[in-house]
Amino acid sequence: MNHIPMRMIASPAVRPAKPTRRALAKQRTREKVLASARQLFTERGYEGATIRDIAKAAGMSTGAVFASFADKTELFDEILGNDYALLAEAMTDASESAATAHKALTDMFAVAYRFHMDQLPLLQAGIATSWTRTEAGEKRNREALKPVMKLLSDALRGGVERGELSQRADLRLIAGVIWDVYLANYRRAVFDGWSADDLTSRLSDQIALILAGAKA
Amino acid sequence: MGVRKAQKAATRDRVLGAARDLFHEIGYEETTVRAVAERAGVSVGSVFTTFSSKADILSQVMADRVDALQEELARVVPYLRGGTADRLCSLFAIHYDFECRRVKLFLAHIAASFSPSLEPTTVPYGRNAVFRGMIIDMLVDGVARGDVRPDADLDLVLDTLMAAYAWNYRLAAQQGADATALTAAMDRQIQLIVEGLKPRPAGYGGI
Repeated sequence: MNHIPMRMIASPAVRPAKPTRRALAKQRTREKVLASARQLFTERGYEGATIRDIAKAAGMSTGAVFASFADKTELFDEILGNDYALLAEAMTDASESAATAHKALTDMFAVAYRFHMDQLPLLQAGIATSWTRTEAGEKRNREALKPVMKLLSDALRGGVERGELSQRADLRLIAGVIWDVYLANYRRAVFDGWSADDLTSRLSDQIALILAGAKA
Repeated sequence: MGVRKAQKAATRDRVLGAARDLFHEIGYEETTVRAVAERAGVSVGSVFTTFSSKADILSQVMADRVDALQEELARVVPYLRGGTADRLCSLFAIHYDFECRRVKLFLAHIAASFSPSLEPTTVPYGRNAVFRGMIIDMLVDGVARGDVRPDADLDLVLDTLMAAYAWNYRLAAQQGADATALTAAMDRQIQLIVEGLKPRPAGYGGI
């Protein structure tokens, strides 16, 4: 018999917690800080935005900021993490109906380029920190990127299954180079004023080149 | 050269030497202009008569290193043998070997090139015409040798190679990987890219 004894249902361990007023207030603080931080990181880059300025912009004390975030890196990483979660969803939709690996990859990165071009300085700051991240920060970043990386490898695996790419292709190597090239292209936007469409077109050609090295 | 000019040149050299050492020893972000001035034995004020900011100092440090690297490349590159992949591997191996001697400088340089607040006078990483030219020349030779198909977009290949080259430095940043490890990673990437550049037999349909 599967019935749960009444006393267990009534005990606090099983009853779903109701968000307290305190918890809600804390959540609101968090959101305010994240919003101000995003704006300042976008305006001034990672180094230029201080916790003090972020707290001020959010209308609270630095203590209140530190109650929710251990340090600036954690705050920055959460913003990037939120963006990647959104991006992964959009990229999934874009690549779902693609007939080839090349199309799937081009379409998903087209979404990424459009997404980030709206907040290019923030993206720049994110890339700039990839050379100075701590081990903990690196771990967080890898976690945040997992869904996007999975999309990338799924698209390549689809290519192998459909006979476009060799069974012996090193998918991890290919994914790595494609990701490197995707990021590196942003420099064209920064220095040469390229649009999202320009970047996508370039990346599409580069993906074709890279996949040619793994043709079935 | 007048006394004033000579003094300014001497200050510049001392500042750059001090900065190069400190950026390498303790890191770029951790180094202050004051610390650089102290190490160079000059006043902070005199640093700022020659350089506009710490970022400007970094960009000058990197600009000064270019000649030394070019010399090393010039010594080796004309004598390289083998296919295009082998030559490219050797070329990038020299770059990695050179930069990994003071890897923190390179990491700071490439990070700075992405900073939203970039100095207008900086030559950002990846825009050195001589280095880019060397790679293009190798690819052109590859076409002549029959390694590389004649319709290949060499500029595209160059960008792809440069992207892989740069991003391998993350291994140095995050895992303390040395020049050997970075070169090994690059070798595999080069093999993949060059494989895709092979001339196709007549009648082959596809990119």
